[in-house]
Amino acid sequence: MAEVKFDAASRIYPGTEEPAVNKLNLDIGDGELLVLVGPSGSGKSTALRMLAGLEFVNDGSIFINDKDVTLAPPQDRDIAMVFQNYALYPQMTVASNMAFALKQQGVSKEDRMARVKEAAKILDLEPFLDRKPKNLSGGQRQRVAMGRAIVREPQVFLMDEPLSNLDAKLRVQTRTELADLQARLGVTTVYVTHDQVEAMTMGHRVAVLNFGVLQQVDAPRTLYSAPANKFVAGFIGSPAMNLLAASDVGGRAGIGGVQVPLSDAVAAAAGAHPARELTVGVRPEHLQLGSEGIPGEAIVVEELGSESFVHVRIDHLGESTTIVVRDEGETDVRRGDNVSVGFNGPVHLFGPDDQRISG
Amino acid sequence: MTAATSNAPSREEQVKALQKREARRRRLPLLPALIFTILITQIPFVMSLYYSFTDWTVTPPSPRTWTGISNYTDAFTNSFFREAAVTSIVMTVSSVLLSVILGTGVALLLDRKFFGQGFVRTLIITPFLVMPVVAGLVWKNQMFSAAFGVINWLLEAVGLEAVEFASKYPRWSIVAVLVWQWTPFMMLIILAGLQGQPASVLEAAKVDGATPRATFFQITLPHLRPYLELGVLLGSIYLIQVFDHIVVMTGGGPGSTNVPYFVNQRSIGGGWRFGSASAFSILVVIATIFIATFGLRVLSGLLEGEEP
Repeated sequence: MAEVKFDAASRIYPGTEEPAVNKLNLDIGDGELLVLVGPSGSGKSTALRMLAGLEFVNDGSIFINDKDVTLAPPQDRDIAMVFQNYALYPQMTVASNMAFALKQQGVSKEDRMARVKEAAKILDLEPFLDRKPKNLSGGQRQRVAMGRAIVREPQVFLMDEPLSNLDAKLRVQTRTELADLQARLGVTTVYVTHDQVEAMTMGHRVAVLNFGVLQQVDAPRTLYSAPANKFVAGFIGSPAMNLLAASDVGGRAGIGGVQVPLSDAVAAAAGAHPARELTVGVRPEHLQLGSEGIPGEAIVVEELGSESFVHVRIDHLGESTTIVVRDEGETDVRRGDNVSVGFNGPVHLFGPDDQRISG
Repeated sequence: MTAATSNAPSREEQVKALQKREARRRRLPLLPALIFTILITQIPFVMSLYYSFTDWTVTPPSPRTWTGISNYTDAFTNSFFREAAVTSIVMTVSSVLLSVILGTGVALLLDRKFFGQGFVRTLIITPFLVMPVVAGLVWKNQMFSAAFGVINWLLEAVGLEAVEFASKYPRWSIVAVLVWQWTPFMMLIILAGLQGQPASVLEAAKVDGATPRATFFQITLPHLRPYLELGVLLGSIYLIQVFDHIVVMTGGGPGSTNVPYFVNQRSIGGGWRFGSASAFSILVVIATIFIATFGLRVLSGLLEGEEP
């Protein structure tokens, strides 16, 4: 089917200095679902639109199946796109919406309708083929947008936050259906989202962008367990990782007067920098409340049923700072309790350049 | 049940009373304007409705006698009125259609971003702001005139003979001025429609492989339909009443007397036959009401919103 390659591709919007996408290098494999994730303004949508041909590429190249499409117009790229607001043609029926691209290609009416029916079957849209988009629910519209893409049997699917206009419950459900559909069709897919949960659950690999620069591209598990830098560490995971400037405890990195546990290799690698220049990162689920560790005071207790998150105020580097600790559900901790925070899992260390220090 | 046990108003009655008060409060501020409007529009209308059933003429003064519908039946046998009606229809239809087509073209051009866009848009709107009388005079003397008109100067410059447009083609000269004045209005309405079209729909069409031509005819034009209908409706209502242009440009010269001008000729223009003139104008009102009813439906459709 199709492989996609970004080769140092950049986009600079007219009238701006900073590139919206800066020398992006990405290789997307055949049949892969790659998620582009990042905060707003990170350039993830711009990167997708560059691949779609809706944005000019100022520098570098883009290839689909080893064919240079850098300057090709969208219709010559054999791609289908699902837009955030679905961009359905309001005055056309669902069937006409889905058949539109085929009609432009000059496919015969019978073939068009056959392929539309087939796609409608996959997406449970058969009863709605004669309706106009305004008479559909949000979830149905989303499926029509998907159908419009499927009907074309393109080389690549491009999806620009396709679930963000759905309500929370439907979003979770559609997320699973979408991932399943993509796996069944086996079409290379580039998926843009700002929601890191969506990225982690759907992506075969996830590319994290910030300020137009690719931070890391890896399997979701690797992003979680070995974030390449401080930004990825803080962006992936919910609630976010605790990131603190390290204090110097006996020449090694520490939090609030307590040395953080590090493997020997990491400790040796970190030894090149003074402890005060390092950043310590530890996820709430890798901390625990216990009888010993960093002393602090619980100020907020968030009960979620299966688990709870305790915000603990600690004394760190002479200031009071808050860290989040995961605790079991139905915790006994109350606001105002004095607690001690201990370590219960891996601790990440980032150097003065914000990059991960690994042993 | 509570009402049965006590005389105090039930909750239902209390709510009703509150709703009534609310409604009164909303209507009260409208009242002065409403009364004023009734005074200056509806009373004269009822008066002319009454005149239209009489044979009232001012000179020579004659007693007003009730003649029933004879003024109306006269209208359909009167060849001058029929001619005026045809002129009205031809003038209105051609100027509305031409200005809608031109307005759509200009709107499509103005919908793109370019340097000085706002300035150009304002310049293009100006003809609509010119008083009809002034527009008529400017075109008659500075554009159409055989002696010092710009168009004839151009014609002579390429070796053609000068034409006194306003007297040789009175009807089409007026249509030309009307199109010049109303194209900006149509352009404004269509431009609003174009700007209400989500950019992503056009991008989706691009990705779907539609040529610019296909995008325009299959997506943009259907999207513009309610706006086009609105433009045609409003244009028709105004252009059926054209009067000033005719007065200053042709004075009702051959083929340029429309119904309003004809009504004027019959009444204060020298005919002094207010009875039959009233009947003619009532006929125009009826025709306009037909168009307006159709148009209001379009308007409400537009307000319902078509975008998902």
